[in-house]
Amino acid sequence: MKTKSKNIKYTVFWPTVFLAPFCIFFFLFNFFPILYSFYMSFLDWNGYSTKTFIGLDNYVSIFTKDTVFWKSMWNTVRIGIVGFPISIILGLLLANLLSNLKKFRNTLQTVNFLPYITTPVAIGMIFTFIFEQHVGILNRLIEACGGKAINFLGSAKYAPFAIAFMIIWKCTGYYMAMYLAGITSISEDIYEAARIDGANGVQMFFQITVPLLRSVTSFVVITSAIYALQLFDEPNLLFTNQSSSTVGGPSQSCLTMVWNFYNQAFGGNPRMGYASALSCVLFLIIVVVSLVGLKLMNRKEED
Amino acid sequence: MSIKNIKKAVLAVILAVISFVSLIPFWLMFSMSTYKSEMIFQNNPLIPSNFFSENLKTIFASNFVQSYGNSLLVSLVSTVVGVLVCAMVGYGMNAYNFRLKKALGNFVIMTMMVPSQIGIIGYMIEMRVVNLNNTLWPMMFTWFASGFGAYWMISFVKGALPMELVESARIDGANEIQIFGKIVIPCIRPGLLTLCLLIFLWAWNNYMIPLVFINKQDNYTIPIFVKSLASAYRTDYGAQLAGLFLATIPLLILFICGSKSFIKGLTAGAVKG
Repeated sequence: MKTKSKNIKYTVFWPTVFLAPFCIFFFLFNFFPILYSFYMSFLDWNGYSTKTFIGLDNYVSIFTKDTVFWKSMWNTVRIGIVGFPISIILGLLLANLLSNLKKFRNTLQTVNFLPYITTPVAIGMIFTFIFEQHVGILNRLIEACGGKAINFLGSAKYAPFAIAFMIIWKCTGYYMAMYLAGITSISEDIYEAARIDGANGVQMFFQITVPLLRSVTSFVVITSAIYALQLFDEPNLLFTNQSSSTVGGPSQSCLTMVWNFYNQAFGGNPRMGYASALSCVLFLIIVVVSLVGLKLMNRKEED
Repeated sequence: MSIKNIKKAVLAVILAVISFVSLIPFWLMFSMSTYKSEMIFQNNPLIPSNFFSENLKTIFASNFVQSYGNSLLVSLVSTVVGVLVCAMVGYGMNAYNFRLKKALGNFVIMTMMVPSQIGIIGYMIEMRVVNLNNTLWPMMFTWFASGFGAYWMISFVKGALPMELVESARIDGANEIQIFGKIVIPCIRPGLLTLCLLIFLWAWNNYMIPLVFINKQDNYTIPIFVKSLASAYRTDYGAQLAGLFLATIPLLILFICGSKSFIKGLTAGAVKG
């Protein structure tokens, strides 16, 4: 009898106590809002007047009429595909270099992590100053070297790359920290054995470090894919700091999916219902990408 | 010069260049904040000027102090509650066997995938209905159930907490709350510290949620305060940057002091994660 009551205590009561706060908070502040957004996606509503139920109309227009949606998707993918792989690879290389270092390791690690802790608002301003056409530092440098100033922020050709560069600058240090943590947990014996077998640094990097960091890599790749699909701060801050604030940058080349959603919901002409539908589509995309990533991650772990 | 020395020199140059690129924008933030806005581009902005104290006066004359306090309050409450809730999940998922354990584990992984920005319209209306939309609460609530933190704490506790210790405490008659406070928390301290640093950082730098929720000066957080300096009759870049520079200081101190334990905490999480 006593064991049974104890069992209930440890299989029902205490797990509930420890897990309930998370589940309740998650439901209240994450899940319920998404459900509510889902409900709103069937409405035509501007935020204050009466709501009209319009069924699937919002979704139909997203997929058939809304060219801006598809453009924003392409923009997001383009910026993400340039920015994140480069910053992940750079982070890995940097971590590898630092892990071999005896002196200055801590200092360099902190220095390279600094961009990640800088407030996005500051990053937006500083990069505006760097890329600006007439007085920007980069263009003054180009001119000093005899080149011609480039309108980085005014042309649809260069602006997405400016954002990708911001991402690389900001995130490399974060990935470096993740990989550095992974490398620290690899046993020194493995490297020692490889060294005795006559392996050089490059071989050790590709044969030992990279394969053993697989779990870190899959974690980093999945989380950065989710982050990339939600890109908002960097492009928004880069293009709303100037006196002439434009939605989406030059010819909307930097309008990401979340910025488009934000603009529909809270811009000059709010369309809450339509924006909710946009957010639900975005949610679905993120879930699909995550599930595919998770599948790959699990398969790798079973190997 | 031997090949080994050349290799070392090349390595040093590469590291120096990368670190330089990392530092330049950071340095620019400081050095530009020492200029009068109109003068920033007349000189070489890499060399500091003498207008820093004037810029400080400008921001202190508006409600910088209150915004700073708001940011601190929001970030601290978010961090404390968020980390505690995640640590509880970490212990709960490792210390007991219960029926829905596997389902809950998958649920936590799913929560990590659910982006908080997606439901922001529903969240805004929810907050309006419970009359909290004009307070600082909406900016804190989003960190109370951090999917990343929970997932991460589960793998951290698995690696860092010896279950024999918990078992023997149970035999000694300690209840679960005591065990959690006296044994679990000290065992997972490095992981807690790292998670604290990350959630504090994310809450402090959060931009979109304050942008949507804040509509009165009393509730400004730093990012919104700095943006508000731009909507005046002229954009005071110097003052904006001075504010941002001061806003970076707490993070700078936290991460410089915590850099060793930060990596240590990440390491223990990475072994499993």
